[in-house]
Amino acid sequence: MSGSALRIRGLRKAFPKVVAVDGVDLEVARGEVFGLLGPNGAGKTTTLEIIEGLTSADAGDIEILGLTWAKQGQEIRARIGVQLQSTSLFNKITPREALDLYGSYYPKRRGTGELLELVQLQEKADAYHITLSGGQQQRLALALALVNDPELVFLDEPTTGLDPQARRSLWDVVRRMKAEGRTVMLTTHYMDEAEALCDRLAIMDHGKVIATGTPASLISDLAIPSVVELTFEGDAPEPAAFAARLDQAVERRADLWEIPTPDPKALLPRLLEAAESAAVPFQQVHIRRATLEDVFLHRTGRSLRE
Amino acid sequence: MMLWRQFAMEWRLYRRDRVAMFWTFAFPVVLLLGFGVIFRDGGGPKLSVVRVQAPAPGPQDSALDQALADVQLKVQTLPKAEAEARWARGETAAQLETDGAGYRLRLNSYLMAQAGATAGLVNQAWLMAQARLSGSPEPQRIPVSVESPGHKHSANYAAFLLPGLLGLNLVSMGLFSVGMVNVSYREKGKFRRLAVTPLPKWIFLLGQVLHRLTVTVIQAAILLLVGRLVFGIENQGSFIDLFLIMTLGTGCFMAFGFALSGFADTSEGYAAISNLVFFPLMLLSGVYFTLDSAPAWLQHAVAMAPLAPFLRALRAVFNDGGSLAGHGAGLAIVAVWGLAAFALAVRRFRWA
Repeated sequence: MSGSALRIRGLRKAFPKVVAVDGVDLEVARGEVFGLLGPNGAGKTTTLEIIEGLTSADAGDIEILGLTWAKQGQEIRARIGVQLQSTSLFNKITPREALDLYGSYYPKRRGTGELLELVQLQEKADAYHITLSGGQQQRLALALALVNDPELVFLDEPTTGLDPQARRSLWDVVRRMKAEGRTVMLTTHYMDEAEALCDRLAIMDHGKVIATGTPASLISDLAIPSVVELTFEGDAPEPAAFAARLDQAVERRADLWEIPTPDPKALLPRLLEAAESAAVPFQQVHIRRATLEDVFLHRTGRSLRE
Repeated sequence: MMLWRQFAMEWRLYRRDRVAMFWTFAFPVVLLLGFGVIFRDGGGPKLSVVRVQAPAPGPQDSALDQALADVQLKVQTLPKAEAEARWARGETAAQLETDGAGYRLRLNSYLMAQAGATAGLVNQAWLMAQARLSGSPEPQRIPVSVESPGHKHSANYAAFLLPGLLGLNLVSMGLFSVGMVNVSYREKGKFRRLAVTPLPKWIFLLGQVLHRLTVTVIQAAILLLVGRLVFGIENQGSFIDLFLIMTLGTGCFMAFGFALSGFADTSEGYAAISNLVFFPLMLLSGVYFTLDSAPAWLQHAVAMAPLAPFLRALRAVFNDGGSLAGHGAGLAIVAVWGLAAFALAVRRFRWA
C-alpha cells in the first residue's frame, strides 16, 4: 500500500460552450481525505466524473491506484466506490434490494445488513426508494458507494441539501471511512465541511486549481489571518470612498463590510475613528479568524456562494 | 448468475408497476375483442353498393336487382337526395344510378379496394341481367373459394387477425415500449450509477431482453386463450413451433429497440427514429399490399427485411398448421437481424 491513490496530470475537458476542466494536476495520497472546494460550475463534478470513468477527457493522464482506464477499466471499477451528485435509482427498488443487487456486481462485497446499519437505514430497508427523504436517499447512495469495500471512495457533494444534523452524521461516516484506511475524495462548496473533514484541499475555480494544501496552511498562507466586519442594518453602503480614506481594502457583502488585516489590534482604532468622522452608520464590529471562504475570496475576488 | 439476478430484478420491479403491467397484457386482448366482434361473421369487410332509386322502375331495373342479389352483393336502395348526401359524407364506396337508357357506376377514390371489387360484381350482375332479359343462356360464372395461403382452412377473419396482432404487438413493444423506456431512463440518469460498477453492458441488456421476452410469451398465451375461448380460434400448428417463432421474433424486435435507443439522446428523438424504422417495416412487409409492381431492387431489399418472413412463418404455423421446415431461410433472416441488432445495441449502448 504505497504510492498515490490518485495522480492526475494536465486534465482538460471542453464542452461546446465552456472549458469545464482546464489543465488540472492533482495528487492524492493513500489514506487521506482530499477535498475539491469551489463554487458551482467550477469544474469539480466534471473532474470527478472523468476520474470515475463516466466522462472522457480531451487530454491528460489519470492513474488510479496505479491503474489506468485504458488498460484496467474493470479492475478500477471493482476497487473504487462512487457516490454521484444525484443518484437516481429505480423508483420502486428498496434499499435492501439495491444493496444486494449492486453488491452482486462486485467480486468483493460487504454485507447488506452491515451497510444499512452504517448509514442508519435499517428501518427503511424495505421501503421503496421513491418514498425515502432526500437525506435517506443520500445515505443509501453513500452505502452503495461502500458496497464493494472500496480502497478509494469518491463523494460528489455528499451533504448538499441535507439538514445540519444529517450533515453531521454523514461526516461521521466519512471519518469512519478514513479510520478504516480508505482514501476519500470529495467535492463540496461548504468551507466548514472542507475544514472539518479534509486532510488536504484543492480550491477550484473556472476549471483550474487555484490553490492546494491543508486547510490550515491555505489560511495561514493568506497572510491576513483576521477579518474585521462592520455590520449594517439593511444593505451595506458603497465602501469605495471609505476604503480610500482608510487606505485599506474593504469588501462589501450584503449587509456588511469586510476588512481583511494581518493586525486587527492596530487597525481597529484607526477604523473606528475614520468611521466616526465619515458618519458611517454601522451597527456592530466583529473580529474573526480568516476562513477558507476568505482564501477563496482573496484568490478570485468572488464569494464561494455567488 | 449475474444475468439471472439482473433478469429477476427486472421482473420484480416490473411487477410493482401494476398499471403499466395491466395494460401491457390487456391491450392486445382489447384489440382482438374489438376487431373480432366487428368482423364476427367471418368474412372480413362486406361489399355493398348504393342503388339510387330509379324515377320509374322498369323490367330492366328489376332484372338488375335480381342479378345483384344473385352475385351476393349487399344493395342499399336510397332516394336520389339521400344517396347523394351519403356519398358526400364519404360513406359510400360505390353508387349505381340510372343514366339515360343504361346505368352509371361511381366509385369512391378513397375506398378503392372495396369499390374496385364491387365494380366487378356489379358488371357481372349487369351481364346476367342483360342475358336474362334477351332470353340468352345464363352466362356461366367461375366458382370462387376463399382460402388461406396454406390451402388448409378457409379464412376466418378473426383467425387471420390473431397472428397479425401477436406480431404487431411484439414489433411495437420492441420498437416503441422497450426502446422508449430505455431512452427515458437514460435521460433521467437511472443508468449512471450502473456505469461506475463492473456490470458488463451485455448482461444488463440481455437481462432486459429476457425479461421482455417472458412478458411477451405471457402476453401471447393470454391472447391465444382469449381467442380460443371467445372466438374459437385454435392454433393449427404445434405449440413448440409457435413458441420458437415467437421467441425468435421477440428477441429480434427487442434487439431492434435497444439498438435504435443507442441513436437517440431524448425520448422525442427516439420517437422520430423509431417511426422512421417502423413505418417502412410495416408498409413494405407485404402485410398491407403486395409489392408486385415495385422495382425489382426494392423487392429484393424487402425480402431481406425481418417482418415479412416472421409473419409468414407465424401464419403458416398458426393458421395453416404448417411446420417450420419451409421457413428456414426466412427465420434465418430474422435471426441474423436479431443478432446484428443486439451486437449494435451493445456497441451503441451508453449508460448516460
